[in-house]
Amino acid sequence: MALFARTPLAPLEYSRTLWMRAWVGLVMLFLYAPLIVLMIFSFNDSKRNVVWRGFTTKYYEKALGNDVLVEALVNSLTIAALATIASLILGAVAAVMLWRFRFPLKGAVDGTISLPIIVPEICMGVAFLIFFAKWLEWPTDLIWPFNLGAIIIAHITFCFPFVTMVVRSRLASFNREQEEAAKDLGAGEWGVFRDVLIPHMKPALVAGALLSFTLSLDDFVITYFTSGPDTITFPVKVYSMVRFSVTPEVNAASTLLILLTIVLTAVALKLQGVKAIAETH
Amino acid sequence: MDLNELLAQGRNRRSLLQAMGVAAIGISFGGLAACSKGEGKKLSNGEEAKLNFYNWDTYIGETTLDDFKKSTGVEVTMDLFDSNDTLFAKFKAGNPGYDVIVPSNDFVERMVRADMLQPLDHAQIPNIKNVDPSFINVDYDPGRKFSLPYTWLVLGIGYRKSKVKAKPDSWKVLFDSPEYAGRIAWLSEAGDMFRLYGKYLGKSVNALTPADIETISAMMIKQKPNVKKFHEDDGQDLLLKGDVDVVLEYNGDIAQAMVEDDDIDFIVPKEGSQLNSDTLCIPKGAPHPKNAHAFINYMLDAEVGKKITETILYPTPNLAAKALMPDTYKNNPVIFPPADILAKCEYAKFNEKLQPLYEEAFTKVRAS
Amino acid sequence: MAEQDWKANKRVFAAVSLPTLLWTLLFFVIPMAIVWFYSFGENKGLTEIEFSGTLENYKRATEYLYLSIFGKSFAVAALVTLICLIIGFPVAMAITFASEKWRPWLLLGVMLPFWTNLLIRTYALMMLLGSQGFANKGLETLWGGASWFKTLVGLQPLPTWEPVQLLFNNFAVVFGLVYVHLPFMVLPLYAALDRLDRSLIEASLDLGAGHFRTIMRIVVPLAAPGIVAGVMITLIPALGAYLTPDLMGGTDSQMIANVIERQFKKANDWPFGAALSFILIYAMFILIALQAMRKKVPEVR
Repeated sequence: MALFARTPLAPLEYSRTLWMRAWVGLVMLFLYAPLIVLMIFSFNDSKRNVVWRGFTTKYYEKALGNDVLVEALVNSLTIAALATIASLILGAVAAVMLWRFRFPLKGAVDGTISLPIIVPEICMGVAFLIFFAKWLEWPTDLIWPFNLGAIIIAHITFCFPFVTMVVRSRLASFNREQEEAAKDLGAGEWGVFRDVLIPHMKPALVAGALLSFTLSLDDFVITYFTSGPDTITFPVKVYSMVRFSVTPEVNAASTLLILLTIVLTAVALKLQGVKAIAETH
Repeated sequence: MDLNELLAQGRNRRSLLQAMGVAAIGISFGGLAACSKGEGKKLSNGEEAKLNFYNWDTYIGETTLDDFKKSTGVEVTMDLFDSNDTLFAKFKAGNPGYDVIVPSNDFVERMVRADMLQPLDHAQIPNIKNVDPSFINVDYDPGRKFSLPYTWLVLGIGYRKSKVKAKPDSWKVLFDSPEYAGRIAWLSEAGDMFRLYGKYLGKSVNALTPADIETISAMMIKQKPNVKKFHEDDGQDLLLKGDVDVVLEYNGDIAQAMVEDDDIDFIVPKEGSQLNSDTLCIPKGAPHPKNAHAFINYMLDAEVGKKITETILYPTPNLAAKALMPDTYKNNPVIFPPADILAKCEYAKFNEKLQPLYEEAFTKVRAS
Repeated sequence: MAEQDWKANKRVFAAVSLPTLLWTLLFFVIPMAIVWFYSFGENKGLTEIEFSGTLENYKRATEYLYLSIFGKSFAVAALVTLICLIIGFPVAMAITFASEKWRPWLLLGVMLPFWTNLLIRTYALMMLLGSQGFANKGLETLWGGASWFKTLVGLQPLPTWEPVQLLFNNFAVVFGLVYVHLPFMVLPLYAALDRLDRSLIEASLDLGAGHFRTIMRIVVPLAAPGIVAGVMITLIPALGAYLTPDLMGGTDSQMIANVIERQFKKANDWPFGAALSFILIYAMFILIALQAMRKKVPEVR
């Protein structure tokens, strides 16, 4: 990768030009300013997140000692992780189908697959409520994590179209000659898929995974309508607090989650080696 | 479903939760699974030692559920909902397995009519004697057949003392005057808004007609430029932050805010207002009805009620609990407004014909 | 690049189409079909909805009141999408051209704020923008400084500071929605731009085109599929936003998703809510199906 030689500034090093750095810096400020406020208020000595009333760390102790809060976070992360994996597979496969094949009613199939993005949350929530509770009589007293089943299914349904959209846009730049070449060299369908197509899709898969994870982690309405007893998730907990205002405990938990993510990412990058990670992109 | 039986049998919840949770996300939280249940253990009343409670978050004493477990052995799982509307919507598809729920008065009426609630056996709830007699015979549930009161509230005007010229003792300042233009926040709940306007016009909150809705819509559209925000029941926060100075809110919410800022006060306007009460009910199909009765009885206990009230600071209908509270609570005119004003306040009845009209009219007001 | 006819390779087609089609049918089409039937029904009592084949709900949903809200929501969502595109494109390029060490951090950096709950993030944003908020405090300090400076050079001081209304209006809604939807634009753009043929850009620069012209002429066309995907997954969710307009908007900032939400919740009028939802769905479905058909035409020729 000679392009990224240290000095001098090569023409393609957009990320090292001043205006680009300033722009990214400003966007990051825009993205993180509210987060900094959120973190500051996790130390607020008040029951609510509204006016600064002095410094305390008691909400961190409370958050860590709060079993329900921790359970809610674990539930949310489990749902998000499982829904992301399934959405990635389903979404990528659907994208390959739409990109590669011509088949009857393709327009209708294309439209239907994209629809979960447009259906208003509450409408989809009600649809799942009737579907699971009234039609399937889905049991609500299973052990963890099977009691999250209905929620995960619902999350996959609204996450995978996002993956499909992103992957499809990526596939548009795929050079089919590579596929032909691989086939000429004797690779089978699966081999081509694994060795040629997936590496090409990788940035889109990363983007799709990040989107799915985010969407799933943050969903309240659909989760609420598909949940049974003893399945509190983090958003459900937060929304239920609104009537009496959200306590700094939630800020403390969020701050810990952010720090944990950063630490885990740093560790993962260290372990796998910076190079290996970068090459996958 | 055989799979379910299989899954339901192998419920060593604690270890599974831990193993799967840790494996699934690679994060190990301490005390993650401190919620193993009293498996298979039967109480003397023949029910397993469990209870599923459906409530708002932070709407209970900090140790109430643990204390209940200590005294009865019943493990309470508290799940959370965010509004009466979503509670009702969810129960439209049947009870997903809850034993005790906390709907407000008009939703008690709705749920009774929709056949979602189970009659209460008063013999199993001796602590009913602690409830203020004026809360026993109420329009929305005569004789308390289906519900027992948990808290009650009244709508009024919360305001910042240093920013108003005189006590805003009439709905006029919110509804029909440019005096505090740009510093007013209304509630975004269409029904409440129309009923309170009705109150301002001297009508009962339950006597509005479609013609009244027309008149009131016109008044609202006229006043709208003076209003800054239709808030989602977070008026106390707007007041605390200084974004607005006069706000339509519940007394309990303002009382909580007053603890943090003594420049804030609350008044029930002289025209009268609307009452609201959250209640404890047992939905049809509750898996542990006896535990549910025991739990409701426990919640109405004097000492327990006191602890709950200390946390949530809402007005309590539990006289015995109130008696145990300090004077700063008992004699607080915000939490317990004067009796002559309260006499002019009413509970809103659920009206299924008018509700969609309120909504459509309010959508029009917002769009204009 | 011709698409393959499905009959030419039935086994592969089955492998890639069956999981998606089955999942969509079972967990999307069937649940939504229930709600679709509701849109032709009417409330009977509090919990029962009778399917009566009535078109009354659609008639009501296409009244001027609701159509104007649809129109307004679309305008807001389109504006939000445009702003996201303008802000997001350079960010996506920065990620694409970043060094290997920085790329994962930039990607994470864009996403991380969104792993905290939307509601508390919105509250934090409101804390920044409120009339006593940090943004206003900062501006006030600047204003005071300017005023002090003017008196220092012997001019009249500036009039006293009035807080800027940054919250509870349509500006706040657009601001909040841009905040929420920015990664939905950045990620697809990044996915499309990554590993684009750098020799094209180099050639363009060698031939004397400036950076801006090169980006507009070479990079943007190459990123076109990503831009389309980004616009789709920004515009559509922005159209369905309800929390941001509720919390940050003023008295006239309702969007169609707020109206739909109220039908299902407060009004308890599921049939009407279903009809409103399905008007959105029909519009979207036609849009995508048309797009798919348009793509097909040149290949047929």
